[in-house]
Amino acid sequence: MKKAAIALLFTLTLAFAGCGDKEESTNTTTDQTEQTGTETGDDVQGDLEGEGPLVDGVLNVGTNAEFPPFEFVGDDGEPDGFDMALIKAIGEKLGVDVVVENMEFDSLVASIGSKIDVAIAGMTITDERKNMVDFSDEYYEAVQYVIVPADSEIASAKDLEGKNIGVQLGTTGDFIVEDIKDATAAQYNKAVDAVNDLRNGRVDAVIIDKNPAQVFGEQFKDEVKLYDGESAEFGFEKEYYAIALPKGDEELAKSVNDALAELKADGTFDELVTQYIGN
Amino acid sequence: MNEWFADVSNKFQIAFLEGDRWKLYLSGLGVTLQVAVFAAVLGVAIGTIVALMKLSVRKNGKRSVFSVIAQIYIDVIRGTPSVLQLLIMWFIVMKGSKNGALIAILTFGINSGAYVSEIMRAGIQAVDHGQMEAGRSLGLSKGQTMRYIILPQAIKNVLPPIGNEFIVLLKETAIVGYVSLSDLTRTASQVSSRTFEAFMPLIGAAVIYFIIIKILSKLIEKLERRLRKGDHR
Repeated sequence: MKKAAIALLFTLTLAFAGCGDKEESTNTTTDQTEQTGTETGDDVQGDLEGEGPLVDGVLNVGTNAEFPPFEFVGDDGEPDGFDMALIKAIGEKLGVDVVVENMEFDSLVASIGSKIDVAIAGMTITDERKNMVDFSDEYYEAVQYVIVPADSEIASAKDLEGKNIGVQLGTTGDFIVEDIKDATAAQYNKAVDAVNDLRNGRVDAVIIDKNPAQVFGEQFKDEVKLYDGESAEFGFEKEYYAIALPKGDEELAKSVNDALAELKADGTFDELVTQYIGN
Repeated sequence: MNEWFADVSNKFQIAFLEGDRWKLYLSGLGVTLQVAVFAAVLGVAIGTIVALMKLSVRKNGKRSVFSVIAQIYIDVIRGTPSVLQLLIMWFIVMKGSKNGALIAILTFGINSGAYVSEIMRAGIQAVDHGQMEAGRSLGLSKGQTMRYIILPQAIKNVLPPIGNEFIVLLKETAIVGYVSLSDLTRTASQVSSRTFEAFMPLIGAAVIYFIIIKILSKLIEKLERRLRKGDHR
């Protein structure tokens, strides 16, 4: 009797759990089955025919809203910023509803094809990411800035060798440090954490994107100074932001790129740049 | 001193009042509580069942199949970090689901269940063996004795450690940012990434957690006292 009751309760619990899941995942079942075959491989063949955003009318966009002015949580609690405005404008051109999922930056690429359709998060095009996803045409040049304490002697790329450098995990700065001789990267989740540790003396320099760097430069102008990473002294390679797309979905890539080109042509893109980023 | 005060109040202004940011913390707290409460309910349900499974014996006195299954479940869940369990649930087990809240509740419910089951087992075993014998001799079945005599006493025994487990669970939900939820911790992180200032949002979130848990422990204490009313000791 007891055992029967236990078994029944347990089954009910499981059934309840199962139901909840099913309800949520009905519109993605096809994605799921298609991916089970490639689960272990790096190569996600996300051929989303008949299930993609262009068919079901909803574009699920992943972002990490902790990177102003590109994406941040607005005062209403919803993700806002340049990237959000851009992807919504693209969604309008494509005639689909944009639904934004705000998640951790390092979860974004892995989530494309299952949890989200595309990701826009100030994401730099890298070869490693290209193994997992395709990228749209680039939409913004990511200029990296070097922040050092005001009294630091660091003034060129050579000075950075062997130093402890703060970066934001998985961002362009992180990749740059990999190429600097003997330098160690201290990876932080947020730019603000890296800069605070620079002020506390835990790192010798911080390499992050231009826009947040300028805000920090302004905020702590007595304590830090900035260098443009593209200057002759540093000479970092140019990097670009792009929208991450499911691997192999050429139809979606083409529509996104066309929409992006249209927005650039009709001036909407520049308007958004002025509105969110300035100069 | 005055300057310091002005600085702190300015930071407070930016971190909480500007653009009504306190509402973000509030909705973050809502997410934290939602996940924690549902996970706790699920955890207690699973924990009770698993404790009974683990205590079940075959007719010849050896451990039953249920008991072995329960032991494996407890070992696996206690042997892996909850953040990995959450990520495995999100990326592998429930790959097709976009419902972060559901995934978080299930993960933490299953996680908490393992710990609760051991607490429950201790509580059940702490009830004197004579209670079962008395129940049986009065003509109650084994299941009835468990349900009406042993479990009510066990629940009274386990209330303090269960309260403790719920407090731990509430704080452990601080990692749900991985499944696209904006809980209290993540809200603090989001605000500080926007205001470029870490002190106030972090301290603020810590104070909110503290207050919530203080209230919670008071409630548990009250419940405990209420349940002890019938005791003569």
